[in-house]
Amino acid sequence: MKNYKLVTIFVNERPVTAPVEPHESLLDFLRHKAGAVEVKCGCNQGDCGTCTVLFKGKAVKSCLVLALQANEKDVRTIKGFTGDFLMGKLQESFVRNGAVQCGFCTPGMLISSYAFLQADPQPTREEIKTAISGNLCRCTGYKKIIDAVEEAAFGEASTKKATSSGSPEISEGQEEAKGTYLLLGGG
Amino acid sequence: MISCDYFKPSEVGEALRLVSQFKERALFAAGCTNILPDIHSGKQKDCVLIDISDLEELTGISKCGNSMRIGSSTTISELLNSSLIRDEAPLLYEAALNFADPVVRNRATVGGNLAYASPAADMAVPLLALDSRVVVQSLDQGLREISLREFFVGPGETVLSPSELILRVEFNLSQNFKVFYVKVGKRNAMAISLASLGLALKIDQTIKDARLALGALAPTPIRACRTEDFLMGKFPEDKVMEEASEILLSEINPISDIRGSREYRVELTRSLFKRAFRAILSEERGLS
Repeated sequence: MKNYKLVTIFVNERPVTAPVEPHESLLDFLRHKAGAVEVKCGCNQGDCGTCTVLFKGKAVKSCLVLALQANEKDVRTIKGFTGDFLMGKLQESFVRNGAVQCGFCTPGMLISSYAFLQADPQPTREEIKTAISGNLCRCTGYKKIIDAVEEAAFGEASTKKATSSGSPEISEGQEEAKGTYLLLGGG
Repeated sequence: MISCDYFKPSEVGEALRLVSQFKERALFAAGCTNILPDIHSGKQKDCVLIDISDLEELTGISKCGNSMRIGSSTTISELLNSSLIRDEAPLLYEAALNFADPVVRNRATVGGNLAYASPAADMAVPLLALDSRVVVQSLDQGLREISLREFFVGPGETVLSPSELILRVEFNLSQNFKVFYVKVGKRNAMAISLASLGLALKIDQTIKDARLALGALAPTPIRACRTEDFLMGKFPEDKVMEEASEILLSEINPISDIRGSREYRVELTRSLFKRAFRAILSEERGLS
């Protein structure tokens, strides 16, 4: 006999009410009950960080939170940042720096970076590395991701030298298309 | 087939009533950083989850006279954001900095890390070296205080009865200790310790007090009591360090696993101890 309980979780400010099992994770709720498939499922055991969301204002791995623990609480996925200045800056910087390869880690990378920059707007490069150390990129495109976070914090000049040789040439049209894709939490 | 149930008590008393009702099936759920992976892997199939994550009585870091109190559902991030911990318990602060990764630290709790009783529990090493006490409560046994040195029994096992809840961890602040913490894992983030070591020495010409705690080097996190006894009253010099490291190796009992062999862990222990000893010594010399 399945033991369902009813929860209401505010996903990007939209209340979603659905029955859940006691052991169901927030990640499963988001993907299967709230249709928030921009939240990715990688390892499902807290190692990879691609399911990272904002919960009670903090970056958390949604596979490590019980759906029931989020009852009556706010959860923000990568789709919940429309119009947010800092997230906009981060996303544009990711595009400009070629910090997106397959894109699977991107939603989690962006949310971890966002929470980090909110708390520490002027980080060192080492601090950025630590901040995203819970998010794996299996394309191993870390350098460009770190460049992108650094540039979002300090502006373009800070990383121009580091990225000018390695960054891919993107025409304006492509960049726009990629930007849209990112904003929708692509992949 | 997983069959779990879930309750969310609104105060500690209610949590204690629930756990005494469900006994062995009951599991306190706070950060869930171990519970959910255990459910997914099939290790945990039949449990009653008692959600204590929002119980105010279990939160907070405070200083009462000479004693530090840390609520059991304090997260590792909260330790790192506390100037009290940073300034007055640097060993604990260092261990928190090396705990899992910044995102997991937002959920993982001090009490959960101790209750799960992994031989590699990263909070256990600094808290052991700080001579911590675990304050627990249950309906049948009431309130009791357990020395952390007597808390762990084996991998995943503690002296807690099934109906006891950890309320908080306490330790006395002691002045004039120089401390060093080191953790070695396969990578920097999300690494389960291959070995970790916390050393605290009080030196005034000779070693006046020594505390040495180790993780992932025995079936439980341990204090190296014989090494500590040996160090007491000795001059902090290389010969003493060499002899102490030999005694230390007789106190550990590491296993071979996917992270490293027993032989590697033994050699690692020797070198980590020397690194810690030398670091404390050079800090001491720098100051005098």
